Amino acid sequence: MSLTAEKSLKNPYLSQKAEILEIFQETEIEYTFRLESDFELNFGQFLEVSIPGYGEAPISVSNFTDQWLELTIRKVGKLTDRIHDLEEGDYLYLRGPYGNGFDFENYQDKNLIIAAGGTGLAPVRSLIEYAGNNLDQLSDFEVLAGFKDAGSLLFERDIKRWRQKFDVLLTVDKTCDIWGECVGLITEHIAELHLENIANTEVIVVGPPPMMKYSIIEFQKLGVPDDQIWVSYERKMHCGLGKCGHCKIEDNYVCIDGPVYNYAEVKEIRD
Amino acid sequence: MSFNTKKIKKNAFRITKDREVTALRIRVPGGHINAKYLSLIKEIADEYGNGTLHITTRQGFEVPGISFADFEEVNKKIAPILEGMEKEIGVKIADPREGYPAAGTRNVSACIGNRVCRYSNYDTTEMAQQIEKNIFPNDYHVKIALSGCPNDCIKGHLQDFGILGMVEPIYHQERCIGCKACVDNCHKRVTSALSFEQERVLRDEKRCIGCGECILQCPTNAWERGEQFFKVVIMGRTGKKNPRLAKPFLKWASRDVVIAIVNNVYDYIERHIDTSLAKEHIGYIVDRTGYPKFKEEILKGVELNSECEIADKINWNGYQTGEKI
Amino acid sequence: MGFNFSENGFNQLLESLNQDYQIYAPVRKKNKDSFSANDLITYDLIKSLEEIELTVKSKYSAKEIVFPIRETLFHFVEGEQFIASDTDDKYIIFLRPCDRNAFKRLDKIFLENGPEEDIYYKRLRENVKFFVIECTSGFDSCFCVSMESNTVEAEDYAAFLRFEENGVSCEVNDQDLAVEFSSQAEEIKFEPQFIEKNKVEVKLPDREKLTNEVFEHQLWTEYSQRCIACGRCNTSCPTCSCFTVKDVLYDENKKSGERFRRWAGCHIDGFTEMAGGHNFREDYGDRMRYKTMHKIYDFGERFDFDMCVGCGRCDDVCPEYISFSKCINKLSTIIEEGV
Ligand code: SF4
Ligand code: SF4
Ligand code: SF4
Ligand code: SF4
Ligand code: SF4
Ligand code: FES
Repeated sequence: MSLTAEKSLKNPYLSQKAEILEIFQETEIEYTFRLESDFELNFGQFLEVSIPGYGEAPISVSNFTDQWLELTIRKVGKLTDRIHDLEEGDYLYLRGPYGNGFDFENYQDKNLIIAAGGTGLAPVRSLIEYAGNNLDQLSDFEVLAGFKDAGSLLFERDIKRWRQKFDVLLTVDKTCDIWGECVGLITEHIAELHLENIANTEVIVVGPPPMMKYSIIEFQKLGVPDDQIWVSYERKMHCGLGKCGHCKIEDNYVCIDGPVYNYAEVKEIRD
Repeated sequence: MSFNTKKIKKNAFRITKDREVTALRIRVPGGHINAKYLSLIKEIADEYGNGTLHITTRQGFEVPGISFADFEEVNKKIAPILEGMEKEIGVKIADPREGYPAAGTRNVSACIGNRVCRYSNYDTTEMAQQIEKNIFPNDYHVKIALSGCPNDCIKGHLQDFGILGMVEPIYHQERCIGCKACVDNCHKRVTSALSFEQERVLRDEKRCIGCGECILQCPTNAWERGEQFFKVVIMGRTGKKNPRLAKPFLKWASRDVVIAIVNNVYDYIERHIDTSLAKEHIGYIVDRTGYPKFKEEILKGVELNSECEIADKINWNGYQTGEKI
Repeated sequence: MGFNFSENGFNQLLESLNQDYQIYAPVRKKNKDSFSANDLITYDLIKSLEEIELTVKSKYSAKEIVFPIRETLFHFVEGEQFIASDTDDKYIIFLRPCDRNAFKRLDKIFLENGPEEDIYYKRLRENVKFFVIECTSGFDSCFCVSMESNTVEAEDYAAFLRFEENGVSCEVNDQDLAVEFSSQAEEIKFEPQFIEKNKVEVKLPDREKLTNEVFEHQLWTEYSQRCIACGRCNTSCPTCSCFTVKDVLYDENKKSGERFRRWAGCHIDGFTEMAGGHNFREDYGDRMRYKTMHKIYDFGERFDFDMCVGCGRCDDVCPEYISFSKCINKLSTIIEEGV
């Protein structure tokens, strides 16, 4: 056995160590980890994140700059439990980035609407940041974010900041008195969005499978054509490289062909 | 009519309710029979008996309704059965035309075994026939049955010797895909001997009964079929006095060990049988001498394989009449 | 170039090849299959002609030599990652046309799909030479002719062998080996033969007519009842390439361990399970549908041939007597007759 550094570079299964710069608590079970990074990233891409000995998991990049990237991680098992024990100055292991991500060109000068349910806000957060900082590149921009309850609200500090620049419609399934926001499922609020100029509108829908399914139906009802709807899929991705097969849906490999799809292309596909 | 009932019984004929007639018992060692003998048995039933047959719990046939006057002729008639089913497998029969030479040691029965059953760890019929060859003819009352696996379909747990097939499962981590089929199955259907830790299967040898189900479950042959072994349970019985299930005597015994201990049984009986009783069964003899004595004598000269485990003590319990049900 | 070897001559050839190559072929392992007293026919190293089992199909294919069932990706100690250095081992694999064609499928996934090559597959695959076993009569469940994988091209093999009564006739394509062959045998004319008709034939559904409506058909519900999700059809398949990545820590020292991969199968529980427990295909009939579509449709949409090579192993091993070839034919009939 030998450390073959030169080969390591070509081995796509090896990860690189990244220091945790800062940790932000989002909810009781979700934390955002800011890590040092020199990855070249696109909005909505994901990384394979690991701690040797505890496994690897696909996690979407929830924000990034040239110096750092953020991962918003929910505590759901062996690996993520362990990650939540880490502190600033500790390391995570990363490889990637994987997937196509959101191509901003598709939304350039359009009326962009992003509907995100729960953790679905993480993969679009970097895109929202970019859009918010470049509103002149869009004709209109609006975000609809839904959460189960006040306790599962993510990126609270960002949302406050975003609201100074563009409309963010926030809803929680159950009553919440914190912000005095609307109550109810995302689907109930879709009609309130700025959908006057449908021909020039692009809609991004990200979230748990049922939320995506019913939100899309709502947008369709309001006349948004399938090819102006964009989705991002979450699957069990073991390799990120189009090899392991876990993410395959029909002839699509979500890890390399997705996770972002134009809905018109994937509306028929079935797991 | 005048004849020696003891002699008749030894010849495998029965004294029946009807003073005029007898019934013939035919052994089927290992419970597997060439169908050609069935036509001969049918012929005897039609010609000498009352045209019916009884299938016994020990996997033999009983042909009722034979007139005592015909028993010698019937013996001649069954000669091919003694030739083919006893002499052929090595049983010493002086003259096959004189019928069965003994009836004390019962037919060695067996479940269907690995000629058919997927669970069986060996060919039960073949081994039953080898045991039959070693111990028959013999007048001592010993019941032996062989099952292919610890499911014990032949009910060896109700015999003096229940011989149950085992196999050593050998795990190859490099072939394991972690599907846990073996672990879940062992947990649900067997003894929870398997666990899954650090992405590999661990087998608790104390709990494992060598049934081989993990080998059957595995989709990659990660469990290798290792050596064949046996569990021997002893001194189970039905009967009027203290019926009870057999208890484990040996575990992971080699075939040679099993064959050797069964051979030793007869000397033990010879030494300890109470001849004042009519045909004392071995279980009651063990009750009298105690298990340690039995164990000592039956293992005499037997070279135990290194894997073989022996029971230190056995307490059969069972139940006694007179207790409230 | 064609050659003819006596049995002895071929054994001498194997002996000399053995100095540079590990030679794998289907062998018979006495009493080693799952059921007692059954022989396991599978791939293993051989040294002589007599060890090669040619009368029965192997239960597992040669896939596991190049895509091991469990393979270490790297070791780690205190957070540093170490990959095992490459070995220089070279391999010769004896296999039938179907199984040779199966490697073309594996090559697609491991070497062409996605942005990068799979280095673990590649480093073994590069060192393999194929010796194709002539197969003109096949076995009961084979349907390679229907899947167009009954034949191989000259560039697909180093040697092509016909096993005969008293020896072996063959053709050699590999220049390095040609010397070895020619020094030990007489030259003959040799023309590879292929099976032209199997006992089983399948009719592939018309791609154009294969719409998603058929996903809802009761054909699959039948398998929901019958399939027990044991995964044998995946593990015996020479073209299934799915795997799962896992970590272990070595007991002694919680700081060291390895990351490895092992075969996965889309029929087996947990294949689509995400962190948090959601599964995309709980129903076993859905899994049968998913596998079927991958084998005879999805793969072909991405690459230029279907994934299934018609080796029939999945039929041979299914404990519930589910026949894949029957399933394909049923699907075709349904589509012909209109869903
Ligand atoms: S059944 Fe086989 S592959 Fe599955 S966990 Fe057990 S040993 Fe491993
Ligand atoms: S599928 Fe059967 S007949 Fe065809 S090459 Fe393979 S073994 Fe031979
Ligand atoms: S699906 Fe079945 S017939 Fe097709 S290649 Fe796999 S095992 Fe062979
Ligand atoms: S059939 Fe299933 S296990 Fe096999 S390659 Fe396709 S998805 Fe993977
Ligand atoms: S082998 Fe048969 S029972 Fe097992 S998973 Fe495949 S189809 Fe289902
Ligand atoms: S994550 Fe492995 S193929 Fe997509």
